[in-house]
Amino acid sequence: MRFAFSDDQVLLRQSARAFLDEHCKSEVVRALWEDPRGESEALWKDMAALGWLGLALPEGHGGSGLGMVETAILLEEMGRVAYPGPYRDTVLAALALAEAGTEAQRRRWLPAVATGGARATIAFVDAEPTWDPEATGTRAEPAGGGWRLSGVKAVVPWAHVADFILVPARAPEGLTLFLVEPSRPGLAQSVLAGMDLGTRWVSLRLDGVAVGPEAVVGEPGAAAPVLDRALARGAVAASAEMLGAARRSLDMSVAYAKVREQFGQPIGAFQAVRHKCAEMLVDVENAHAATYYAAWALDAGAEDADRAPSVAKAFVSEAARRVCGEAIQVHGGIGFTWEYDLHLFFKRAKALEVMYGDADWHRERLVRRVAGG
Amino acid sequence: MDLRLSPEDLAFRDATRRWFEANTPRQELKTLEDKREWHRALYDAGFIGMGWPRRYGGQEASALRQAIVADEMARINAPPPLNPLGIAIVGPTLIHHGTEAQKERYLRKILTAEELWCQLYSEPNAGSDLASLRTRAEDRGTHFEVTGQKIWTSYATLADWGLLLARTDPAAPKHRGISCFLINMRQPGVEVRPLRQITGTSEFSEVFLTGARVDRSDLVGRPGQGWEIAQTTLSYERGGNALARVTRYASAFHELVRATRALTRGGRPLLDDPLVRARLGRIYAELEVQRYAALRVLSALDRGETPGAAASVTKLSYSEFEKRFLESALEILGPYGQLTGGLPEALAARITASSGHGETWAYAFLWSRAGTIYAGSSEIQKNVIGERVLGLPKEARPDRVRA
Repeated sequence: MRFAFSDDQVLLRQSARAFLDEHCKSEVVRALWEDPRGESEALWKDMAALGWLGLALPEGHGGSGLGMVETAILLEEMGRVAYPGPYRDTVLAALALAEAGTEAQRRRWLPAVATGGARATIAFVDAEPTWDPEATGTRAEPAGGGWRLSGVKAVVPWAHVADFILVPARAPEGLTLFLVEPSRPGLAQSVLAGMDLGTRWVSLRLDGVAVGPEAVVGEPGAAAPVLDRALARGAVAASAEMLGAARRSLDMSVAYAKVREQFGQPIGAFQAVRHKCAEMLVDVENAHAATYYAAWALDAGAEDADRAPSVAKAFVSEAARRVCGEAIQVHGGIGFTWEYDLHLFFKRAKALEVMYGDADWHRERLVRRVAGG
Repeated sequence: MDLRLSPEDLAFRDATRRWFEANTPRQELKTLEDKREWHRALYDAGFIGMGWPRRYGGQEASALRQAIVADEMARINAPPPLNPLGIAIVGPTLIHHGTEAQKERYLRKILTAEELWCQLYSEPNAGSDLASLRTRAEDRGTHFEVTGQKIWTSYATLADWGLLLARTDPAAPKHRGISCFLINMRQPGVEVRPLRQITGTSEFSEVFLTGARVDRSDLVGRPGQGWEIAQTTLSYERGGNALARVTRYASAFHELVRATRALTRGGRPLLDDPLVRARLGRIYAELEVQRYAALRVLSALDRGETPGAAASVTKLSYSEFEKRFLESALEILGPYGQLTGGLPEALAARITASSGHGETWAYAFLWSRAGTIYAGSSEIQKNVIGERVLGLPKEARPDRVRA
């Protein structure tokens, strides 16, 4: 029994931190916040060269065959710098394709993702604000040998830069996952502004988008378990990134409380501030335990692998919000300014809090699994 | 990262589970003799003093093995062993700081529970600020004469002996005038008065010391070394509670779910109520986070790391969780949660509180208020975390000992 990183995992974290500290400094992040596309091609190519994009993809398709623990290590570091870009959503879409896609789809897309030649996302949310795949209202009506997709996907992360989008839709066979290239006629996109400009949201309208049988990921009617697992990975991925944002916010708060003086002494000497920092650390350490336990449970196929990601997302969503918010409180006025970096983390945590199922949704999911009903 | 047990530890767990299934008493242990007999069975099976060095009768078992045994006991709701303070605190203190004669005289009888021990530390005016204790031990040459009052003493009513902190040098700075003693509790100068707590029960006592005698040979370490001994005592019993505590929470959670199926409102089970489900979901998620955190602590202990001040994070986290859990449980159970007797059958399950006693929801709820006070209150833990984990500046305090 070992709840600690291996030497390789420690090295991965160190090299990720060194790379991101150099290439994803706050000036870079802030420039991308102002960029219409919102992400950096140079950063993307570097991440591909470092092997990050294929980290968890199968070795036979250009990946390294590592798991969610390693993916979470990278994402925690990305959260630490509020990395802006489609890394997480591309990985989630590629992993769903690796798991459920046809051999032709895997050959076409996975090596492209691993080498930095393709970005992707999953369109979980319809017009109704829920991540529950069962709530999918987008229709897939049989047409010729294929289907026509119609509906609204309201908040799809990073769809404007995606080379393929995984779109759940209701076909006569049941919930089906389609691989859709955004150039298809009938697909309209509009980019939405969110408070975290390091996460871009896109509203998609599908107006009879024609797709053939080759677009079906796996089998028609077989999407529910695929989406369930994609959501579980999304929950862990988001938890890891929120953990990184929270730890960075705590580190900044502690550093600030040591040097900021009021009433003739550092504010960290006051119990009101010190105790707040201690509570933040408890949240961060528990968020670490929850995130990496869940990542391990998915990798190992543990008997609680269907619950641990929901535990992590339910807990970390609120813990990260508390920590990033209290960091602003510890800093006082400076923490409320645009020029100070804290709001990058506060807003990232907020964006991730609502993604891949919010805390309430995951708690209900847990109760269904442990108590039924 | 690999949170599975190794094949060897898995085999140990299975054997332990079989032993407890075969040997756990089916009847409640009422008398001290019954409890001693159970303790003796645990001792003979190698489940007592598992972390102690072999030469003093221990097993030198890993933190993980200790946790496995405690967890299996929690799982089957086995009665606890006797002498927990003797085994966790007094024995290790003597092994480190005691004379050969003290070790010879006391250690084995601690393990076998032939002699039961309590710890005489807190006083009415020395709680979080323990070093301001005022109980005096006056040097009479062959012995010391002890006068003062102790409070919050667990097991005092049963104890034959006590590990005592008392002031021997009132002129010295407060942390340096304290000495550590072994005191016979069965003597005229020692009066034990059980303290009735908000639970209505008496797990703690007040102890009045009036000219009580301690032989010079029962001074531990040097005069004035008491505070240092109390601070540096190494515990061999590590990781023991980490998992067992969470297992007890989990058993209580499943009893709570059972109750929400049995209780109805408007003809529907409480479990169907979205507000109840939201509460259950929150408890379950937090409970699992406690379990993961416990595994992480255990894994660190098992690799030989000492948690040091980080143990404050664990203690703060679980004791505060326990309060939230039981507050939420009582809200769900409505008028039934606060009943201390006459509960409907569906709610009559015995909830094992963190005191180790199996009682009602009401008892567990009341007991949860103790956890954030004893063994360093939540406020003290936050000071420790702030200063020693996060490195924040120390607060200005007039009694600080300069290093």
